[in-house]
Amino acid sequence: MSTDTSRHHSTTAIVLRLVDFSETSLVVTLLTRDRGRISALAKGARRLKGPFEGSLDLLSVCRITLIAKSGDTLDLLTESKLRRRFRGGERSLGRTYAGYYIAETLRWWLDDSERHEAIFDLTLAALALIDGRGPVAETVLAFDCQCLRLLGHAPTTRSCCICGMKIEHGERETSHNVAFSVDGGGVVCAACRPRQASLVMLSHSAVQTLEELLQPLGETDDTSRQVALSEQDGVFPLSSLLPRVGETSYPALRGFVTRYMQSLMGRMLRMQPYLPTTIRSRS
Amino acid sequence: MSSHAGAVSQLVDRLSQLPGIGRKSAERLAFHLLRVREDEALALSDAIRRVRTDVRYCAACFNLSEKELCQICADPNRDAARLCVVEQPRDLLSLEASGAYKGLYHVLLGRIAPLDGVTPDQLTIDALVERVRTGKFSEIIMATNPTVEGDGTSLYLSNQLSEFPVEITRLARGITAGSVLEYANREIIADALTGRQKL
Ligand SMILES: [Zn+2]
Ligand SMILES: [Zn+2]
Repeated sequence: MSTDTSRHHSTTAIVLRLVDFSETSLVVTLLTRDRGRISALAKGARRLKGPFEGSLDLLSVCRITLIAKSGDTLDLLTESKLRRRFRGGERSLGRTYAGYYIAETLRWWLDDSERHEAIFDLTLAALALIDGRGPVAETVLAFDCQCLRLLGHAPTTRSCCICGMKIEHGERETSHNVAFSVDGGGVVCAACRPRQASLVMLSHSAVQTLEELLQPLGETDDTSRQVALSEQDGVFPLSSLLPRVGETSYPALRGFVTRYMQSLMGRMLRMQPYLPTTIRSRS
Repeated sequence: MSSHAGAVSQLVDRLSQLPGIGRKSAERLAFHLLRVREDEALALSDAIRRVRTDVRYCAACFNLSEKELCQICADPNRDAARLCVVEQPRDLLSLEASGAYKGLYHVLLGRIAPLDGVTPDQLTIDALVERVRTGKFSEIIMATNPTVEGDGTSLYLSNQLSEFPVEITRLARGITAGSVLEYANREIIADALTGRQKL
């Protein structure tokens, strides 16, 4: 067998899933910065010695080397060095399950080899917060909202998602709640409301928080800068959003975002029942 | 490929479904079995039949056993104050092979992996809690795999067992003896520092 070195590729990756392939080999689903989500075969990955050194664990951040294969053949992982191990499991089940949740959403949000640098940076930032001292409930909600925005699925908040009419918040209807359609993809005006099923009511302050969580965070499109930055954690300024999430608006917002994602994905995530229901369930 | 006689190709099919056996190896094994003495080949099929009909899970610890209780649980010389929790029978075998542990075991038959749909009720956790409740253990050693899911399982178990007057410990991890600090990566050094022991 000849090895074509030009097809060797090194990059930073987050481990999203491990499936046993044989006694010692694994099929690994990885999120990479420059190739999006990929699946690769890691022969002998369960052995401690060898090119993987036990680095391939769920949510680990690794420096990997990969041989890209053509067609239906799985890419081959030839080396992996551990950069950061996810340690949630040693500390708190809440943090562990939040990490699992993030891995699961990415499996459904992204298609194979769909490059998305900002999602990678966002994921690194979210995992660093969850695995460190960051607040779990707020981090996961902000992660979900930023994913929605980056993937072009942000719910509309200023114009009716059915008829397009402009909607002003906080002026006339301060005492009323704002109606959001889960299946329609955003806010619904009073005229369209009666014909809509799957409505969720949010308070004005919850809508304001939602808008803040969906705002662009100035992630750069400059690729050269991104590659340099990606070596560090927390490039994506996710933590700046967390103080915006209030204790009172959290349950309704979490409920809406969950149902909205469920409608977009066409499924309920396995980890969804494990999400914090209130902001006080800190771990 | 399917040019063999029916019985042979059926055997090759069966063998190639075994972990780590590809088509080529399966063919080699099949022709080997055709070549050896008949009683030798049939001894293999007898062994497979026996393992499936006679081997079950130990009623106490869920290790593999041919009797109601496995050899370890039935051994009066084992230290009945210590209980070591492992994911699979093969993990128990590894610990036994070390010869360093004289206590009892509890095999979970898996680990909690909600991403793959494995929840606590699918493991032998209820039986473990019952054993700790009714037993005379002073120490429970968590020996699940040092992975995120293994650690998560241990954490879940220690929460479940926190109401009982037992000490809960877990296996040390970190730098391999005989290696050099300079070449250990920082995650491994961090593990070793966390698990440091009194000299
Ligand atoms: Zn409308
Ligand atoms: Zn036993």
